[in-house]
Amino acid sequence: MSIHILPAEVASQIAAGEVVERPASVVKELVENSLDAGASSITISIEGAGQRLVEVIDDGCGIPAEELALAVERHATSKLSQAADLFNIQTLGFRGEALASIGSVSNLTLVSRTAHSQVGAKLRMEGGQLLNLQPAGAPPGTTVRVEALFYNVPARLKFLKSEATERRLIDNLVVRYALAYPNVRFQLMQDKRPALQTSGRGERREILVALYGAEAARQMLEVNSIDGEMRISGFISPPSLTRSHRRDIFFYVNRRPVQDGALSAALLKGYHTLLMVGRYPLGAIFIEMPPDAVDVNVHPTKAEVRFRQPEQVFAALQSAVRRALLAHSPAPGLNISLHWGSGEQRPSSFTGHFDPSWPSMEKFPPQEASVEAQDANPPISASPPARASSQPGLPDQRVPLLRPVGQIAAAYLAAEGPDGLYLIDQHAAHERVLFERFLAQRSSGIPSQALLQPAAVHLSAAEARLLADQLPTLASLGFQVEPFGPGVFLVRAIPALLANSNPEDALRVLVENFEEDETPLQALQEERIIARVCKRAAVKAGAILSMEEQRALLFDLEACQSPRTCPHGRPTMIHLSVDLLERQFGRKGAR
Amino acid sequence: MRVSVLQENLARGLSIVSRAVSPRSTLPVLANVLVATDEGRLRLSATNLELGITCWIGAKIQDEGSTTVPARTFSDLVATLPGGNQVEMSLTVRTQTLNVRCGASNTDLKCIDAQEFPPMPVSDVSQGLELNVMDFKEMIQQVVFAASTDDARPILTGVLVTVKGDTITLAAADGFRLSVRKARLSSPVARPLSAVIPARALSELARIASDGDKTLTMITPPGRAQVIFRVGDVELVSQLIDGMFPDYEQIIPRRCDTRAVLSTSAFLKACKQAEIFAREGSHIAKLNIQPGGELKPGVVEITGQSEETGSNQNIVDANIEGPGLLIAFNVRFLREVLDVIRTPNVALETTANNLPGVIRPVESQDDQSEFLHVIMPMHLGS
Ligand SMILES: Nc1ncnc2c1ncn2[C@@H]1O[C@H](COP(=O)(O)OP(=O)(O)OP(=O)(O)O)[C@@H](O)[C@H]1O
Ligand SMILES: [Mg+2]
Repeated sequence: MSIHILPAEVASQIAAGEVVERPASVVKELVENSLDAGASSITISIEGAGQRLVEVIDDGCGIPAEELALAVERHATSKLSQAADLFNIQTLGFRGEALASIGSVSNLTLVSRTAHSQVGAKLRMEGGQLLNLQPAGAPPGTTVRVEALFYNVPARLKFLKSEATERRLIDNLVVRYALAYPNVRFQLMQDKRPALQTSGRGERREILVALYGAEAARQMLEVNSIDGEMRISGFISPPSLTRSHRRDIFFYVNRRPVQDGALSAALLKGYHTLLMVGRYPLGAIFIEMPPDAVDVNVHPTKAEVRFRQPEQVFAALQSAVRRALLAHSPAPGLNISLHWGSGEQRPSSFTGHFDPSWPSMEKFPPQEASVEAQDANPPISASPPARASSQPGLPDQRVPLLRPVGQIAAAYLAAEGPDGLYLIDQHAAHERVLFERFLAQRSSGIPSQALLQPAAVHLSAAEARLLADQLPTLASLGFQVEPFGPGVFLVRAIPALLANSNPEDALRVLVENFEEDETPLQALQEERIIARVCKRAAVKAGAILSMEEQRALLFDLEACQSPRTCPHGRPTMIHLSVDLLERQFGRKGAR
Repeated sequence: MRVSVLQENLARGLSIVSRAVSPRSTLPVLANVLVATDEGRLRLSATNLELGITCWIGAKIQDEGSTTVPARTFSDLVATLPGGNQVEMSLTVRTQTLNVRCGASNTDLKCIDAQEFPPMPVSDVSQGLELNVMDFKEMIQQVVFAASTDDARPILTGVLVTVKGDTITLAAADGFRLSVRKARLSSPVARPLSAVIPARALSELARIASDGDKTLTMITPPGRAQVIFRVGDVELVSQLIDGMFPDYEQIIPRRCDTRAVLSTSAFLKACKQAEIFAREGSHIAKLNIQPGGELKPGVVEITGQSEETGSNQNIVDANIEGPGLLIAFNVRFLREVLDVIRTPNVALETTANNLPGVIRPVESQDDQSEFLHVIMPMHLGS
């Protein structure tokens, strides 16, 4: 198909937004164009982390001289003609946006020749202005040179990260495409030095080395399964090889790199019980399916897709992963046991302390056996929830002295009190403990602990705005956070109470917080923030607690003002009275 | 297998290797100790796949063989056998039953076939790096406590060990503090080395290495992501931690404005007291560094305070250069580092209440300070 301008009604159906955010986006678009052009060799040269030069040379089909000027127009594409095509996209590009967007923020040179024309043509554009177009000699294929990127948008320039980071983003990006197209020879030069070179011989494992390092690449297991019209292939790590983050999990749909939380979740499900809490596998998964089974037109930079039958995709992925793991791993569960085995690895976030102010046993009111504190939504406050007063039998929310008996399902503690059995949700209980400590510290100033190295947190523009508005509140809570370029914040200190949690996580949870809660009231806002932070920092279900840790948690809970609910209002404990036990066991007649 | 060993030797060997047993593993054989004849001696090994410990003990071997014995039961049993006696063990291979006789005691233990035990690497000690046990033990103790216990950042649960030229350096950090200890080697190494070893493995090593042993050999077999330590009759194998250790050099402050030199023991005692009162959640203690004048000496005032318990204040005399400063630290961190400083005096170097503090032992002139500890301050929000 020749290049043409899309009719307005088609153009308007294409997910719109910013195409070029950073040098890596330029590389992505140019590489995709070369791949769409059927190139078998792609040479990428980067200078000055892409800001000075991005050059991509391919040996693909080339652009006819008479169409060269059209290629840099907005909505000009050879890959799509009518709206219906949008549901059957077989190419990486389809918007006709990339070259136009790149051309408007740089000095662009485009040289191209098709195999069956004698001479090629050369086009020069500066900041979106077409300067000249003339015949030129060139080998078959296309060369695109992008110089002085963002020279006319200084705001963008300021938002770029360090050169090292931008370079790394480009490296990562090219590796990911190389992995998807092992039959294409990729060569990447950074400042004239080779950064990546693939053979084009179709060997994926050789490219895995560039993605994960030799040791991890060697260990990766192969996934290969076919489910109807869908094929799932690629590589996953054995359960013994994990990371503390998901960033080494990559997905491709019809060889297009995509981001999809739900796909990650399905992959993780495939590892069910084989991974420790907080550990994630590595993976590079290729999903191939008929183009009409997936909508790629949902995200301005084509980073996301929508499946027509998502459940089916997820289920297929999960079972493909499971199968690969079972085939290769002789002793599933090793990884878990290995960490369980050594009791001292877990952070002991609640160091036990003796608190003389526990209520005495007599103070504890007799209670009916039932799930207590069922309120779905009591107000968040340090004082006993209103429910206490509506129940005359419950003058005090406090709990009695509890003796730990053990842990159930790595999530609940069983404890004995003066009147029967208590089942305690360890996560909810710890949330409550942290929450009340925060509130108690607020009057005298919340201690904050500086970090050895500030942690950089990258946020979306919207999240960044939310966070920027809340910096003073955060400071009063012990977070020392400062803006560091667009969408980036540096965390310099975190509340001492959270010293056991990851600073990046702690900040992230705050942004999620702002999105959901829109309470204008400052005080309430602050408590909600605290509640959110505590939720993230509290010990998780799935963490094995030593007897010592169980005891410490119970001590701390006993000391709370409102120990029976977590700050979000869910119960922290269920009480089964001796009376109830007796009746259930038939030792006592029903009343 | 038919062997006999002295009760004391067996008991000691079991107590050493049983630290690597993982009783709660889903792989039952990991709760066992491998007992095998090995070139005229008896080899005991245990592993949790991350850490493995082997100990060789003298034995009279009648028949060669091997099996794996439930660690807990075996240790408990051997501990109660009469000292000074020979423990006779014989294995019935078909039923994997180990008969243990000693004095009047006669026991049959159900074992698991040695085939199921994970293979443990065999090391070539001649390729290793020789270290002085006592020195290395002290080095370990001076850094391991600063390693993180949080699995969220696995790399920080390790200790970075680098060997270059004739210097060995150990470094550990947990996000809030950094401990670095260097030492000279008797001779320079040919091949530089850099490895992140789990802090837990080093702690075990420090525990195992006793005063009687003179040298310790460290081996990093190429391409195996493992480190092996050999000390006397004991060998400890640990997986290395994969990843990039943070570049800690850049964290170490180059200069300071205020330098206070205090008695290590007085400072430690003050911190211990303050810690009792600084417990609630955050461990915050305030240090008021006050330079002296013409007549009065400089002092550091250490305060721990808690809403519920009360407050405590201690004044420690100090030799102070530079301006005064009020700064707060996690007192547990202070206590932990002071606990591993052996010199009578210690220097606390600070510049501002939001910049890192550095603690170094104050050595005599010719003994250059090879240890330093960086602690990030705390702050009381408004
Ligand atoms: N390297 C190349 N080789 C051959 N043709 C190319 C090349 N690069 C661009 N083209 C032609 O130029 C057109 C415009 O490219 P551009 O990248 O702007 O849009 P697109 O690829 O169609 O869609 P998208 O905006 O999604 O990338 C393409 O449709 C293609 O015909
Ligand atoms: Mg394109």
